[in-house]
Amino acid sequence: MSDTTPREGIDRRRFLTVLGVTGAGAAVVSGCSTERIEKLVPYLVQSEDQIPGVATWYASTCTECPAGCGLHVRTREGRAVKLEGNPEHPINAGRLCAHGQSALQGLYNPGRVAGPMARQADGSFKEITWDEAIAMLVQRLQGASGKLAVLNGAGRGSFTDLLKAWTEAQGGRHVRYQPFSYEPLREASRQTFGIAEVPRYDFGRANYIVSFGADFLDSGWISPVEHQRGFAQAHGYADGAMARHVMFAPRMSLTAMNADEWHASKPGTEAAIALAMANVLLTERSGNPPDANALRGTLAAYTPEKAQQETGVGAEVIRRVAREFASNRPGLAVAGGIASQHRGAVQTAAAVNLLNYVAGNVGDTVRFGADLDGGDAYGETLALQGALDRGEIQVILVHEANPVYSLPRATGFEAKFRKAAFKISTSLYLDETARLCDLLLPNHHALERWDDARPRRGVNGLLQPVMEPVFRTMATGDVLLRAAQKVGGALAHFNATGWEAYLKSQWLKVLGTEEAWRTALQHGGTYGETPTTPVRLANGTVVTPYRAAAFDGAPEGESFYLAPVPSVLGDGRFANRPWLLELSDPVTKITWHSWVEIHPDVARRLDLQEGEIVRLTSPHGSIEAPVYVYPGIHPEVVGVPLGHGHTSYGAFATGRGVNPLDLLDGADTSGFLPYFATRVILTKTRRWKQVAKTEGTTRQLGRGIADAMTLAQAKQGLSPALAAAGEAAGPHEENPQPEVEAIGGWRERQLQKRQKGEYANEHPMWGMVIDLARCTGCSACVTACYAENNIPFVGEDEILRGRELTWMRIERYWEGGEDGEPLEARVVPMLCQHCDAAPCEPVCPVYAAYHTADGLNGQVYNRCVGTRYCANNCPYKVRYFNWYAYSKAAFPEPLNLQLNPDVTVRARGIMEKCTFCIQRIRGAQNRARLEDRPLRDGDVITACAQACPSDAIVFGDMNDGSSRVTRLKADPRGYHILEDLNVRPAVTYLAKVLNRTEA
Amino acid sequence: MRKLAVLGAGGLVLAVGAAIIAERPTQAQQSPAKPDSLTAWVLAQGDSAALQGPRQPVLFRHDIHAGANKIPCQYCHYTVAESSEPGIPSMQTCMGCHLVIGGTDSTHKQEIKKLRDAFAKNQPIEWVRVHTVARHAHFPHMRHIKAMGPNACQTCHGDVARMAQVFKVNNINNMGFCVTCHLQRKVNRDCSLCHY
Repeated sequence: MSDTTPREGIDRRRFLTVLGVTGAGAAVVSGCSTERIEKLVPYLVQSEDQIPGVATWYASTCTECPAGCGLHVRTREGRAVKLEGNPEHPINAGRLCAHGQSALQGLYNPGRVAGPMARQADGSFKEITWDEAIAMLVQRLQGASGKLAVLNGAGRGSFTDLLKAWTEAQGGRHVRYQPFSYEPLREASRQTFGIAEVPRYDFGRANYIVSFGADFLDSGWISPVEHQRGFAQAHGYADGAMARHVMFAPRMSLTAMNADEWHASKPGTEAAIALAMANVLLTERSGNPPDANALRGTLAAYTPEKAQQETGVGAEVIRRVAREFASNRPGLAVAGGIASQHRGAVQTAAAVNLLNYVAGNVGDTVRFGADLDGGDAYGETLALQGALDRGEIQVILVHEANPVYSLPRATGFEAKFRKAAFKISTSLYLDETARLCDLLLPNHHALERWDDARPRRGVNGLLQPVMEPVFRTMATGDVLLRAAQKVGGALAHFNATGWEAYLKSQWLKVLGTEEAWRTALQHGGTYGETPTTPVRLANGTVVTPYRAAAFDGAPEGESFYLAPVPSVLGDGRFANRPWLLELSDPVTKITWHSWVEIHPDVARRLDLQEGEIVRLTSPHGSIEAPVYVYPGIHPEVVGVPLGHGHTSYGAFATGRGVNPLDLLDGADTSGFLPYFATRVILTKTRRWKQVAKTEGTTRQLGRGIADAMTLAQAKQGLSPALAAAGEAAGPHEENPQPEVEAIGGWRERQLQKRQKGEYANEHPMWGMVIDLARCTGCSACVTACYAENNIPFVGEDEILRGRELTWMRIERYWEGGEDGEPLEARVVPMLCQHCDAAPCEPVCPVYAAYHTADGLNGQVYNRCVGTRYCANNCPYKVRYFNWYAYSKAAFPEPLNLQLNPDVTVRARGIMEKCTFCIQRIRGAQNRARLEDRPLRDGDVITACAQACPSDAIVFGDMNDGSSRVTRLKADPRGYHILEDLNVRPAVTYLAKVLNRTEA
Repeated sequence: MRKLAVLGAGGLVLAVGAAIIAERPTQAQQSPAKPDSLTAWVLAQGDSAALQGPRQPVLFRHDIHAGANKIPCQYCHYTVAESSEPGIPSMQTCMGCHLVIGGTDSTHKQEIKKLRDAFAKNQPIEWVRVHTVARHAHFPHMRHIKAMGPNACQTCHGDVARMAQVFKVNNINNMGFCVTCHLQRKVNRDCSLCHY
């Protein structure tokens, strides 16, 4: 029908226009008006580095974990609104994980302690002034006469140096405490190589990776962003080659999901496999290091067959992996991490050290000499507990640590801690430990204060305040120095005028000049080469005779090994951040609460179904959580995520989930805290709780969502469709003639449309490529999207109603796992595909969903009336409806300060979805226009692509023949999800490549 | 029939409104330095409430600053060429001149004293906002200055240099106002240019 044809009646648009006019008339009658009086408040004095409406960036360092990644902080009108990685930084090279992204929610957390507080006689806290607070501190310090202790969870740096010197000058005891320490790795390195250090792993160089229970891709182990970058480099498919990743662990973690082979080993036995592999290498291969050859006799007893008895992993598998490991140089074997921190953790790490040494990887992919930060030995914490128990401590100061939560309840830490007469906390939040204290001296947040970090040799990170403090807090460095001046005596020599001056003086000692200091500040620190110390096998017994790790608790039989599951909440410190609570667990896709992972066979045997609440009991306590039936767990193991179950940590965390540490035995003296060490009895409660997960159908059911191909197929340059059809099959089956004509005609009409009006001009064509061979499913992109696009969290109840609101989500599908086939996980980042022929557009009655000339699927919020037709018609289910005014509940003051001013905060009743970060596109176009230049490739980077530690997401102009996205799009592995719908998505996925041994 | 009546009434209102708008330019086409006699009389009463536009805490005279004294707009609205925001001048910018200039007559002196007192007390003056773009629309000032030159302000804001007190000449939240101009100048008028 041409436009001139007269129509009967009115069309849908005119109909709605009339409706709109009537509505507006009604509004006028009832006296409503949108006119509000707004005030414009000018600056008194204009700050030189702020232009209203233009972002100011500051370089800083992330302190969310001890890895010490570099940050670029985006501030607008004097408040931090987005964190991104510092591209210059040697550790994270511009990338940032979900924890780093969420630091903003720590900064603006409504649960922060608003100012200094003192405990009253009735037990409540009363706000006091800083002068009063410091006077109280000074009085107590003077009365402590050396009976002072400091528990410090801060990373290594000038602050820790100052705190240590300050404490020791008063005769006090300074203990550095990190809940997830790397003690077993350090001890193992001391045993094998005589150097008590956490090794530095270079995943990027490895051609063969074997993990012995080490969850190096899961959150928070040593240096997660660096590991992931390296892993993507090694394991991502490029030019016909990729590394193979094999994992031995009782549970399929995120790391195991990314392995080409995962073998479920019996808990506590990984060392047997490592020793057997070393044995195979020594007996079958020549050219081993001579000092390793001397071990041949000692290791001869550790045959793959013996390992099979111990671990349940087939001897032929172990032998094959050992041979492959030897022939794909350099390889990398890793051990460690919370999920495998059983009583045999030192032994496992030592065996893996030996394996790496025999294979010749030490000094290559495994390096010593970086002196990675890890905190004091666990023994120090135990000694402090003893001193507290004996009443030897009068005054204790806890800094950046929450031992009452993060130590197992069975240690009795809380009771011992209460024995100290005066307890001080510098915590930003009223956590379990701060709640017991007498004086709260809240520290500035890391984005509000001066500080520095020395995560490793050669890397010195600086922190600078990027904004005025949100609350009435004070940098603890200033508190220490001010107190020192008042106490005098042994502390009199701490005479810096303030914390900033002290820090700067420490840096100037090294840098020398003011100019060098300014340069360091600008770049976020100083970065040099990290040295490598050559190591040799230590003298003496390098191989401790293998013994399976001991487990306490219930006897074998109907009891289960309790596996602590690393979650996005880390050691619990991230549990007060709604972004991370709502972030689906990368493995189970569960949000907001705890769960118990149980193998399907066991669930069948015990007649358990998902959502039934079970009680896990050990001699030390019991917890209750709903069941999640998980095919990726050893049948003798149950998994419970760490980080939940706070009793005091702000409104978001308190009373949510359970803490599996309550089941652990704390009285361990093996030099570290074994997290995977207890057997529990499982009892049914016959109560139910619906599991709040965002997982839909767990199988692809032949829909071709997450495609994969073998390495051989990828080398041949097959497309995913051809690979799926098998090599013998010809090309895709022919369409019948009428279909070909219909599609051709449709294409023609689409092309004609493109020549009209706006579309006739030259425009970019925005597109994205996502490489599934690099994507690990870590979900950093999801958090980055939350931060960039003002996405509100919806809460557990709404998730249960299927109303999650994440513009970007990671879908996870299972393959195999039945009839003896290996279980395989596939992950797909799913976002609006910005289809050329988008099904959502024609069904919108108000033209809110429409296509822009530059290839975006636009969504005009102020047009949307919320019919939800578009979401119904979207085959990818990437349109999300704002059912309530979610943003009101999601951004309570001061969390609203984190909102990105470039993005509309959506109201109730509006459909929203990924915009390809249109605010960044428009911003880049504006900048280019001001500079009179065309847009260049790389000018626009979406928030997800920017954050991705694997560099799996690439965004750009598909009309620009030289852009990176155009080049990647031409890869034969490229495919569109649900391609046969003919919606022509702008997102191209590159199929995952499986590097498996062909049978 | 009834619907027609409603539409008719609406049309009448529109016509009257249009007549009022059409009259304004003639009002403002007098000598740049001196306000018209009515405005002058109102100003002499020392209360700007009777003038068009919201009453401001300090009667800042754009007609004197930009009109008589010919201070370029961007002297105060300093970020308009580089940012989406035009930049509200800081108090320091005001004091840069008014440290010295105290005003010639009593009404001027009175207003400048308000400024000096506020600055002395470190208190910003809270201006009442005249133009607000709706929150769901983004208006990059710099692109418009870049395209239309540094003196293009009056295209949307009216001839502020003749206003004793700033008032709204154009309803900037009426999208037709934006689109008309974009149509005339043949520039992009994609929804997502402004709405995101």
